[in-house]
Amino acid sequence: MNTGLRDFREAITLLPKALYFAWSDTKARYKRSVLGPFWLVLSTIFGVVGLGVVWSILLNADRAEFIPSLTIGLIVWQLISGCLAEAPAIFYRQSGQIKDINLPSFFVSFQLVMRQIINFGHNLIVFAIVTIVYPHHASLLAFVAIPGLVLVVANLLWLVQVLGYVGARYRDLEPLIGSFLPILFFVSPVIYRAGQLGPMARVMAFNPIGNWISLVRDPLMGELPNAASYGVALATTAAGWSVALWLTTARRRRLPYWI
Amino acid sequence: MARITLDNVSIEYPVYNASATSLRNQIVAISTGGRMARQVGNIVTVLALDGVTLDLREGDRVGLVGHNGSGKTTLLRTMAGIFTPTKGAIVIDGRVSTFFGLGAGVDPELSGYENIVRMAMLLGASQAQARASIPDIEDFTELGGFLSLPVRTYSAGMQTRLTFAVATTLHPEILLVDEVIGAGDAEFQAKAAARMDAFVEKSSIFVLASHSPALIERFCSRVVQLEHGRMVQ
Repeated sequence: MNTGLRDFREAITLLPKALYFAWSDTKARYKRSVLGPFWLVLSTIFGVVGLGVVWSILLNADRAEFIPSLTIGLIVWQLISGCLAEAPAIFYRQSGQIKDINLPSFFVSFQLVMRQIINFGHNLIVFAIVTIVYPHHASLLAFVAIPGLVLVVANLLWLVQVLGYVGARYRDLEPLIGSFLPILFFVSPVIYRAGQLGPMARVMAFNPIGNWISLVRDPLMGELPNAASYGVALATTAAGWSVALWLTTARRRRLPYWI
Repeated sequence: MARITLDNVSIEYPVYNASATSLRNQIVAISTGGRMARQVGNIVTVLALDGVTLDLREGDRVGLVGHNGSGKTTLLRTMAGIFTPTKGAIVIDGRVSTFFGLGAGVDPELSGYENIVRMAMLLGASQAQARASIPDIEDFTELGGFLSLPVRTYSAGMQTRLTFAVATTLHPEILLVDEVIGAGDAEFQAKAAARMDAFVEKSSIFVLASHSPALIERFCSRVVQLEHGRMVQ
């Protein structure tokens, strides 16, 4: 675990730098667009309005209940899926940082997760608007969502590192994940909530993404998340970080040769 | 005290072709057992460095020469601590700055100024140090108003000026340069030479890989010739 831990520790000391790069990358990406990152906000608004109208009719749901739940689901899903989609290519897209400069590999993973968190921050505007329109669920319990979000990010960090390493070695991973993401969106409780599945809800308990979303969504909907959801998220954190550190230890030396 | 010691360093790395990097073949290899695995696992390995022993101390100015593919860049990457030797040992003491062509961290959409900060920070400067280096770089590159324009509008020579200026502004103890100064015009070559002289005077380690005998002659006190990854001289 030594190499992995050293890589991780070095990346932690470089955290402010990773943040600067995440911010600077975001600026570069939208350099010549007028709305910039707010395009993302706009697309979330379209998603909330479009899906909100159609699915509230389909599911025969009360909009005051359904739309806030959908909004939080979509925002957290975008955070997770953004990391999933980009993670496999992260090391070979940033090959300069790995091949020309001696940087910890976690630095590159942190950079991606932070970029997604910046997008998430923009999307919170949509949540704020929805809360103003449908304020029924706002309560002090909402603060419980913060540790939930921290747990989600802790999981995304190991996930990006692991997918990044595997994706650098096996280039099929990126299209593979790309083809699974749309299905994952529908089998995860993003639009609906796990409770609405009836007896199937038990099966959903095994979907870690569903549990991660609950940790953020339930408190914002005025409920305490299931203890089981915390259990699953803590378990995936522990297992995932073990794999990430092991993989970094075992393969950090090989990484520059793969990309 | 900058110092690089290479003791019998070899670097051998696998080159995965499309069939070896595909997950399907790995899965097929597992499911069909040993024989198939050997067939699909036709991985070519390249012996890029073969038993290189070198001891570089303060004030050393080393020129790396050799044909294309003789291992110059691999040796530089090894000295930077990026490639880990598969055999032998390496000890690197000192802050390393690399100049391997188009700088890492450069984003063509961002301005020259923003890219100065990005490159310098990747090379180890803090954000404040990176910003503090800007006047020196403005002065050296003479890019003037172009520094406010996106780097994608720069010519190759202008990009060289920018990356070289950043790589040398941080007073690295060890500077590793791969070729590329050649892209600048005559005036830049002269300025780069003066800057490198000043740098070498601060008695650090300087390694230059180049095909130009004139450049090697100008800057290097010692020549290392590589042939097929082996040191011949």
